[in-house]
Amino acid sequence: MFRAEPLVKIRLLLLASEAPDAALELARFGIYSPAQHAPAALAEKPAEAYREAWLEAESRVAKLAERCGGLPELSIPQGVAAPTLSDLEELNTWLKEVWNACLAAHESEASIQEEVRHLDALQDTLNKLERLDVDLTQLLRPNGLLAVNIGSLPAASVKRMGEALSMTGSLLYMFDTVGDQAYAVIAGPRERHREVVGLLAQAGWRELPVPQELCAHPHAARSCLLEERKRVESRASAECTAMDNLRGTYRSGLEEARLRVALGRPLAEAAIAGVRGHGALASLSGWIPRRCKKELKAALEARFHGQYWLNLEDPQASEARQVPSLVNYPQWLLPFVPLVKSYGIPRYGEFDPSLLFALTYLLLFGAMFGDVGHGGVILFLAVLLYRKLGRAAWVGIAAGVASMGFGLLYGSVFGYEDLITPVWLSPLHEPTRILTVAILFGIGFITFTLLANSYNQFNAGHIGAALFDSTGLAGLLFYLGATASIIGLANLYRLADFSQLAWGMALLGISMVAIFKWVETRASFGERVLVTAIETLETGINLFANTLSFMRVAAFSLNHVALALAVFTIANGLGTTGHWLTIVLGNVIIIVLEGGIVAIQALRLMYFEGFSRFFSGDGTEFVPLKLAGAK
Amino acid sequence: MNLTGKPNPVSAYLNTRVTLFSSRLWPAESLNKLIETPAEEMGATLGAHDLPQLAAGFDSLDNRSLEQRIIAQLLEETTVLIRPLSGVERDFLTYWTERFEVSNLKTLLRGKMTGERPAALLNRLTPMGSFGRVDINDLAHAEDVNELLRRLEAGPYAAIVRQARRAFEESHDPFILDAALDRSYYEGLAQRARPLETAAGLSFRCLMGGLIDRINLVWLLRYRFNYNLPPSQVYFLLVDSHYSLGSMRLRELAAQTRLEDILAALPTPLRASMEGVTEIPQVFTRMERAAAASAQQVLRSSAPAIARAFAYLLLRERDLRAVRAVLRGRLLSLPTADIRLAMYQTLEGNA
Repeated sequence: MFRAEPLVKIRLLLLASEAPDAALELARFGIYSPAQHAPAALAEKPAEAYREAWLEAESRVAKLAERCGGLPELSIPQGVAAPTLSDLEELNTWLKEVWNACLAAHESEASIQEEVRHLDALQDTLNKLERLDVDLTQLLRPNGLLAVNIGSLPAASVKRMGEALSMTGSLLYMFDTVGDQAYAVIAGPRERHREVVGLLAQAGWRELPVPQELCAHPHAARSCLLEERKRVESRASAECTAMDNLRGTYRSGLEEARLRVALGRPLAEAAIAGVRGHGALASLSGWIPRRCKKELKAALEARFHGQYWLNLEDPQASEARQVPSLVNYPQWLLPFVPLVKSYGIPRYGEFDPSLLFALTYLLLFGAMFGDVGHGGVILFLAVLLYRKLGRAAWVGIAAGVASMGFGLLYGSVFGYEDLITPVWLSPLHEPTRILTVAILFGIGFITFTLLANSYNQFNAGHIGAALFDSTGLAGLLFYLGATASIIGLANLYRLADFSQLAWGMALLGISMVAIFKWVETRASFGERVLVTAIETLETGINLFANTLSFMRVAAFSLNHVALALAVFTIANGLGTTGHWLTIVLGNVIIIVLEGGIVAIQALRLMYFEGFSRFFSGDGTEFVPLKLAGAK
Repeated sequence: MNLTGKPNPVSAYLNTRVTLFSSRLWPAESLNKLIETPAEEMGATLGAHDLPQLAAGFDSLDNRSLEQRIIAQLLEETTVLIRPLSGVERDFLTYWTERFEVSNLKTLLRGKMTGERPAALLNRLTPMGSFGRVDINDLAHAEDVNELLRRLEAGPYAAIVRQARRAFEESHDPFILDAALDRSYYEGLAQRARPLETAAGLSFRCLMGGLIDRINLVWLLRYRFNYNLPPSQVYFLLVDSHYSLGSMRLRELAAQTRLEDILAALPTPLRASMEGVTEIPQVFTRMERAAAASAQQVLRSSAPAIARAFAYLLLRERDLRAVRAVLRGRLLSLPTADIRLAMYQTLEGNA
């Protein structure tokens, strides 16, 4: 819980043909995170073609599943083997056939829909066609002097088409517009009709089939259109049946294909980082938890019967930055983990601050927003929205409880300070005490962060920085010495008696920091002097500025009372209805506005006064290969 | 100055940025020197001209990687230039980068026609970074052209693709698809340029006019004499233009049957620049040279910042293509004279 689990580097060498099963076996465990550290001799990427074929199959299965709909939840039985490359290629060929069949049906559906829209448009334009001041019998005569086309084209192209047609001696007359389509009649000399046809093809022209009846008796076209609509409807119904048949025919095959794609996923995903090879050999490399060594060996032995070479070794110190972090958190801590990860992932071997974060965040939130009533409202809302917020609701529940707890300590209920007796103190009546407590908490918190940083630096092998840097033990010595000296000067907590010792500690600490900075700076003499002086000075200023930053904890607890007082003052000047309305609205504003600000301030204190001092946050997350739907 | 002609901090920033960037342009003599630069100094020379994308591994890049890195460099510089812009100015420069994505779409469409596999196709596409508007990974996995076109029609390129799909469904001719996409793209560009032409004045109009007229004339000659299309079809495939080669003039030009008649029918300033031209490639060379000179002039002038930024991008792209010709020539171990010829052809005849 406090640091990442020890990992070992895994290199599994086996026949390339068995790589899919090996990846599947590793994915079944859910403990293997692929990474590239195969020997240089294995430079080929044997799983690349596999990944390519898998991606195609996966994309087709996803599209078909979307079209088919209602596929049962995927379930992967034990003992099944992963598909080989040739299996995937075969599957791809089958999926392509199925997709083409579906696509043809889909295209047919689309064309029916388009035809229906076309008929609707034709119905609309029929009246206009009837009113065209031309003799259609003459106009559409196949052996006439004029070649005539009636149809539609994109409305945006009408002007340009008219101009282009004028170059062939033809005319365009637009008689209707539906959506982005314009309906037009084109007439021109028959000898240049071939040129016009080429031009129409470029423009996406769609010919309107004008029924023969329309030529002789335009009003008869309506019944003709009705006939056409009936025909399209019966075609649509036939297509629906065909589509249902297709679904029925391919359904079981599609379920099988989905299973195979799921079984192929581990190698396809491992191929990105962890699979190299040479000739007929493939190597899967990555990281697994040290505790799983025996279990993994046994599983591989059972599956491959010694036909493999497995190498497991601890990471070298120089590899620490490449090792991913796997931290096992207890369930109750999980809601807080995303808040830590939004700052960064702990490096391998680094102190994981999630537990510290959860406890301190709640403590700070409660201390700044201590009120039994307001905390109760937050708790109630978090419970109410539990389904919507999921695990994150627990952060709200815990914050509400913390707020209620501090409300009891402060004796505050919805801003009323006189309903219950404070168990500890009332911030309004004892502001100096609460300020002192906040600063003492800050001193404790910063001391902890300096210790945590020293621990991290020791673990990373940076002994010098752990001992002598401003955020190491020397910095801590200076900080504690200087803090004790200042408290001694104020003659508090009887520290004046230790004044000399404290000043000595501070001087020794800051001197060590200065020497360390001097040694570490690689620059000209002048620049070294400057860097050492500024960075040493900065050490002192930063530590104390950060300590004073914790005064905001006390300030916000006072602010909470002050806001409530302001609401009461306004409410008391109003009548009964106005009074209670103001009280309710005022409390809503306090919860939303101040609650939000306090939540952010607590986060800010954790990130900037805490994490920035000891938590690098530039680690890599351990992402194991997993098998979706595994039983 | 902003679009209303008043000085503002955005224009000052953009002007300063363009002036700084303009020092990155390659004078002809630098390009000449690049041909003979020893291999071990090449990386440093490219780095010194702010081409970090090309400096790394320049000696092992294939044509596709070179093209991708050049476009990445152009996109990176465009990102810096559009940072302070908003409204029509930002919209215009952003749309200017979209032609790389349209080119990706054409590659996808051609790949689907030939049944190319998604991984191979993806490898040939240019990463668009933050300028990308479509999910190329998803599009590459479309089964065929029809599916690809339908997917495109559901995305940001719907307006460009809709007409192209209808035309393609009617004819199944890949040429029509390409031509419709190109024409729609440049018409979109001309539309976006209109408000800027009114506000940013003659210099911007001059750049846009040079670009659209050049494209129209080059396409006209190509369609008319290389593809032997009839005049009406040639005219229909050209970009709707309001510059010196307007609709009337283009119809008149498309109706001609000989190159010399087309040149004689050009408006006076263009006709004068074509003095002595007898072959189609010479037309491209002359127009490219004139466009570059015009862009240089705008860049050196006190024209509005958006016009100078556009001029810089035009010149920078031209330069980078010349650098690519040099690097390609060296990679293929061509003789210096051939590389020089290829470089000049790129500089002056790349239409």
